[in-house]
Order: sequence, then structure tokens, then C-alpha cells
Amino acid sequence: MNDFPDDLERRCPRLGSPVRFGYCRLLAADGRVCPKILDCWWERFDVAALMRRSLSEEDFASLAEGRPPNKVASLIDLIRQARDRHRR
Amino acid sequence: MEPKNIILPQDRMPRQWYNILSDIKLNPPLGPGGNPIKPEDLAPVFPMNLIEQEVSSQRWIDIPEPVLDVLRIWRPTPLTRASRFEKALGTPARIYFKNESVSPPGSHKPNTAVPQAYYNKVFGIERITTETGAGQWGSALAFACAQFGLQCKVFMVRVSFDQKPYRKAMMQTWGGVCIASPSTETKAGRDALARDPNTPGSLGIAISEAVEAAVSDPSGKTRYSLGSVLNHVMLHQTIIGLETRKQFELIGGYPDVVIACAGGGSNFAGLAFPYILDKMNGKKIEIYPVEPAACPTMTRAPFVYDHGDTAGYTPLLPMHSLGHTFVPPPIHAGGLRYHGMSPAVSQLIDEGLLLPRSVGQLASYQAGVLFARTEGIIPAPETCNALACVVEEAIKAREEGKEKTIVVTFSGHGLLDLGAYDRFLSGELTDVGMSETQLAEALCAVKDYPRPAHLKSR
Repeated sequence: MNDFPDDLERRCPRLGSPVRFGYCRLLAADGRVCPKILDCWWERFDVAALMRRSLSEEDFASLAEGRPPNKVASLIDLIRQARDRHRR
Repeated sequence: MEPKNIILPQDRMPRQWYNILSDIKLNPPLGPGGNPIKPEDLAPVFPMNLIEQEVSSQRWIDIPEPVLDVLRIWRPTPLTRASRFEKALGTPARIYFKNESVSPPGSHKPNTAVPQAYYNKVFGIERITTETGAGQWGSALAFACAQFGLQCKVFMVRVSFDQKPYRKAMMQTWGGVCIASPSTETKAGRDALARDPNTPGSLGIAISEAVEAAVSDPSGKTRYSLGSVLNHVMLHQTIIGLETRKQFELIGGYPDVVIACAGGGSNFAGLAFPYILDKMNGKKIEIYPVEPAACPTMTRAPFVYDHGDTAGYTPLLPMHSLGHTFVPPPIHAGGLRYHGMSPAVSQLIDEGLLLPRSVGQLASYQAGVLFARTEGIIPAPETCNALACVVEEAIKAREEGKEKTIVVTFSGHGLLDLGAYDRFLSGELTDVGMSETQLAEALCAVKDYPRPAHLKSR
């Protein structure tokens, strides 16, 4: 049984449009939990406790500790990834 | 009697942008090996003339005439006295807003989309790619590309693509191609669709698609465009503050307080950077970047070198940070996780030239609704953050009996964000604060990190 409040909806600050919690939990970051899920849902319910219960210790630590990387560094990494894909 | 709208004649429009990098000293961004990032690292995605602006230390940079010609479609934007808002607040303060919502796409975004399109054109680029979430940036870039005969391809996250068909229609009306992401046009998109054909997409995939479309074009005639964060974006936005200064000259005024919301940084930089130059030169003026209280990066975090990721692959950057090893207490998780702020803004805070403020989301929407009911325009959610700070200052002026002059950027209208207002008006939003104990626990995470030099630009 799914005990996640997947149908709860709020405005996504990155997309600028409403999304459901289920999107943030599973889809926003390519099948992984959206890195901003704790930022966005903490005012609605205890999302950190929910994530701590549902993720492995390592994955939760990664989610809780992570943050958006510097934009220039991100771009350089995206260029590298795109070139790798293109070569393949 | 002072007019409601202070209109700057088009022949007095600023002809140069102000580059704050000439007046501040920055700790350089460091790569994984500890070496500074080089301009040529960005050449696959940006034309060299824009990269030169990104790293330029020249104080004033000419705005090319073809760029001015397009900006004149809506610029100079009005500086408007919010007299009815003042009256509703019962304040002696004089409140002015610089109305950037009058641009064709409805926000400040085309101030940089237009010059970016122009510089790509003169560099010989024929196609520009980008990603967009809600479509605000995508529509601004589509509009700009139309002015210079460039093809514009926007990868719009599928979930937004389906929810906001009018944004797609705006882009298409301006001649842009708006594609739902993931798409079959790139390897990144095809891989995502192979994993799940019904995926609603994500910004991560859309960015990967836009960058891949640029770097994999064998003709070399495609580049990528970004609408926030980078130095050249902030440079282009300074036309907001430069116009505002001239408009105050027309009425013989000068602001005591400058306020703008600080998200990606470009809207804040646009109004504030020219006034920071004045402040460096001795003007008595308060400058407030405003952030949501849920993300108190600027207001409560120390200035340190920190990585952008937990593995330490990304550069060490000087920033206000609560550190990346901190596990937030559950109820305040949101308030402690968004650590980074642009290096330039962090530097200016560290030097005491900016005083960051934070506002709760309820106060923000209350300010936005009051503004809409008095001045008529419905503000974008981010604009509401700045207006909430204006309300605080206006009330303070009333309590102190001071007739101070406040200016704020009205960065965009909220006509495509009415869902957010609906949630506020139906009582779904709440505010939660953060305790000193929880903040102290967070700061332990960065106590042993190297500290950037506290540079003084003057």
C-alpha cells in the first residue's frame, strides 16, 4: 500500500507550475527524488521524516546534504556529458 | 504635482551597461583540481563575445545600437509612484516601483535575452537552444531571437508543456520551436523516454537536451543560452537601475532604500548594482536583497569556501553557506537546505554593501494582494517577496515618522501564476520559523571549512 501523500499539490518553484508530491518523490530528477523535495514540502507535512523512513540511510544523507551546484561548474559538467553521449 | 508615471524619454535611455566586476574583488571559482575555471571551458555553449563579457573587468560596456533598437519596443520602462499602495499602508514613505512587467513577455527576462540573441547573431550563430520550466525564460528568448532572425529551440519540461499551453503558444507566435522534454531529438531525451515513455520530464533532462543540441551540432552554428546567475546576464540587467537613476533625476529625487527579490540574482542585480556603485562612492543608501524566509542563505549563513556537492567534484566557491554535510531537523528542512548564493552577491554582503532580508510566504502574498487591489497589477510570486519587504519598510517609516523614499523592482506580472494566488486565497499556505538552536547545529557543519579572504573593494 502506498502511504505517501502523492496527490498533494503545490507550486514547483523551478517549473513555476503545480506538481503533485508523487512527481517530486519519483520523477522530477529523472526517476530519483527531487533534490528540492525537503525545501518545498516541509511546511505541509514532515517530509524529512517520511523520506528518512522510505530511503536508505545513504540516499537520505545524500538528499539532506545535497544542494544545487555552482552554475558554471554544472554547465561544464553538462558539456562533458553531452560530448560523451555524442561520441557513443 | 508629481506625475504618477515618471517616463524617461527614449533619447535618454542608457547607452552603456554597468559591470560591477570592475569595482569589486572576487575570490575566484575553483575547479576540482583547485585551479580557476577558464573562459574557454564555456566556448562549446556560448559565443566568445559573450564569454568576454562574462569575464570582463571593464566598468562600462557599450550597448550595441541594434540591441537598443529592440529594447526601445518597451524601454525605458515606467518608474511609477505607488501612491494608492502608500495610502493603504498609511505610510509617509514615498514608494516607487520600476515596472518590468511591461515587456512583451511580461518580465525583466528579455533585458538579457535580447543582447544574448544579438551577440550570437554577430558571432555567426544561427540557432539558440535553451530549457524552460514554466516558459518565462523560453518565451523571452523566443521573442529576442525573432528580432534578429535566429532560430530558437526551447526544451520545455513535459509537465509544464502540458499545463501551460499558452506559454508554448507565445513562443511559437514569436517563431520559436517549443518541444516537450524529454524529446526524441537528443540522446539524453531518448534515453529518458526509453526508461519511461510516459515520463513528465524534469529540468535536469531539459537542460541536458538543450546543451546536447548545442554541442552536438556538426555545423558549429548552434549555441545555448542561460537567463540567470551568470555575470553577463546581470550586466545586461543593469539597464533597470541605470534608467531608474535617470528617472529620479527628472523629479529631483534619490532613493533612501533599494529593494529587489534575489532568486537567480539577475533581477536584484539589475536594479541594485548601479546603486551599489553610488554607495561605494559615499551615497547614504540602504540596499536590500530579499529572499524567502524558508531559504535563509544570505541572512543567517557564514561566508565560507564550500563545495557545490557532497562528493566534492564541483569547485570550491566563496559563498554564504550552511555547509553540505548538515542533515536538517525535519520541520525546518526547507529552511536549511538551499545554501548557495551567487559569488558576486555574497561578496557584496560580506563587504557590508548589501543587507539581506527575508520574508515569509504569507506576508509575501498579503503584500501582493494589497498591491493588486491598490495599484491594479497582479505581481509574480517572486515580486511579492520584494513587495513584502517594502511593506515592512513602509510601516517602519510610519512608526518612525520618516518620509523616506523606497524603490523596488516590479520584476514581472503574475497573470500566469494564478494557481499560487489560488492556494494563498484558499488558506493552504502556512509559515514556519527556524530556531537559533537549529541554526547553531547547522553552522557546526562548516566550522572547519577554509574561509575566503574578506576582501575590500574600496
